[in-house]
Amino acid sequence: MNSSPHILRDFDNAIAAFKSEVLAMAAKARHNLERAVQALMERNSELANSVIADDDDVDDYERSIDQHGMDILVKYHPMATDLRLVVSSMKISMNLERISDHAVNIAKRAKKISATPELSEVNLIEPLYTLADHLLRDAISSYSDGNSALGASLHTRDKELDRMHKQTTAHFASRMEEAQGRCQEYLHLIFIVRSLERVGDLSSNIGEDAVYLEHAKDIRHKSTLEREMSGEE
Amino acid sequence: MKTAIQIKNLNFAYSGKQVLHDVTMDITARQVTAFIGPSGCGKSTLIRCINRINDRIPGAEVTGGSVEVHSIDINRKDIDLQELRRRIGMVFQKYNPFPKSIYENVAFSSRLAGLTKRAELDEIVENALKSSALWEEVKDRLHASAFGLSGGQQQRLCIARAIANQPEILLMDEPCAALDPLATLKIEELISELKKQYTIVIVTHNMSQATRCSDMTAFMYLGKLIEYGPTMDVFERPQDPQTEAYVTGTFG
Repeated sequence: MNSSPHILRDFDNAIAAFKSEVLAMAAKARHNLERAVQALMERNSELANSVIADDDDVDDYERSIDQHGMDILVKYHPMATDLRLVVSSMKISMNLERISDHAVNIAKRAKKISATPELSEVNLIEPLYTLADHLLRDAISSYSDGNSALGASLHTRDKELDRMHKQTTAHFASRMEEAQGRCQEYLHLIFIVRSLERVGDLSSNIGEDAVYLEHAKDIRHKSTLEREMSGEE
Repeated sequence: MKTAIQIKNLNFAYSGKQVLHDVTMDITARQVTAFIGPSGCGKSTLIRCINRINDRIPGAEVTGGSVEVHSIDINRKDIDLQELRRRIGMVFQKYNPFPKSIYENVAFSSRLAGLTKRAELDEIVENALKSSALWEEVKDRLHASAFGLSGGQQQRLCIARAIANQPEILLMDEPCAALDPLATLKIEELISELKKQYTIVIVTHNMSQATRCSDMTAFMYLGKLIEYGPTMDVFERPQDPQTEAYVTGTFG
């Protein structure tokens, strides 16, 4: 990727500010997800409430990134790498906003679960969260460091999360049948697992955008081999 | 797709100073091909090699390679330059109508070729002015001076004058450089209409213009053809780091 400074210094400043804004949004969305799962594990309704409230900040970031992206398009007519940076950043910000929405879903269900007697199987969520969080962390790194090989690897790693999602959902579904009095809680857990699985998908999308940014290759809906080859170019 | 112009290993010098180095490219018929690159990169010299208008400059000469139009080497000694330039029209940066009426500007080359019948001339003038999207604006003042037109209209008149010859190829050397944004858009709209009939080669400093109106883009630097490909590829995913640096504005 081209990293020489632009003749127009303002353009460099605008691009740098734009990228930092996306990274700040990413940090916020990831933090929201972390706190939502923490609220679930620690049965902390107050923390869940603050996750729900903080989602507004992420929404503000999304609006601001769209506006700044449009400003750059209108003002500087970016081309090549710069154009791909603006387009992929706007798409990444949309994915981040949806990740934060899933954090809110988890927080809302965490509040409901914490109002009922403790359920030890909540711990089954943790390994799914850990993998989803790693996928999100690596998706953000692939964008910030221009590491397209890392970006291209996310799709395959997300399949492990899909497998865990299926397995855990089946477990909770069978527990619903056995422990009928706690149907509601298990249903909440199934939706939480679903949200984490979606975080994996959205992280994989961010990885695809990072590959597009770096190599101008669209790897969406491509086979695993084609993805890995694109990422390693 | 049919190739209209074949440039093969072209080398060109002004008084011994080499300005084009081994340029090879095929230009497709009925498409718009844009030449881009920083000032002095050789793009205007290259476009001017296509109708041999460089011949007028003392000391300017092709020092190697060839330019073929429909497989005919245009640098052959027996080429009739007047006929060559009738088949390959040219429009310049600064609009340059003759100090005559609108009608006479367009009819000029037909009269030069010996055509005198009024009805035939009228038809040629009307068709050329319609093709250059100027007819509606000037049909009631065809015999007024061309200098009374706005800059954009004068440039479209020059395009009408070029296409009145029914050329196969239209060369445009920064045709919008002296025009305001709206007049520029009118010329761009005209280019997209004209390419249905003519092969167009355009030199432009305006990269947005190249993305809007060309099918193929050639990036030149220091007399060399650095990258040549579909316009969207050149601007969205250039292959050469020098092209990338130029289109992103990080050059030099």
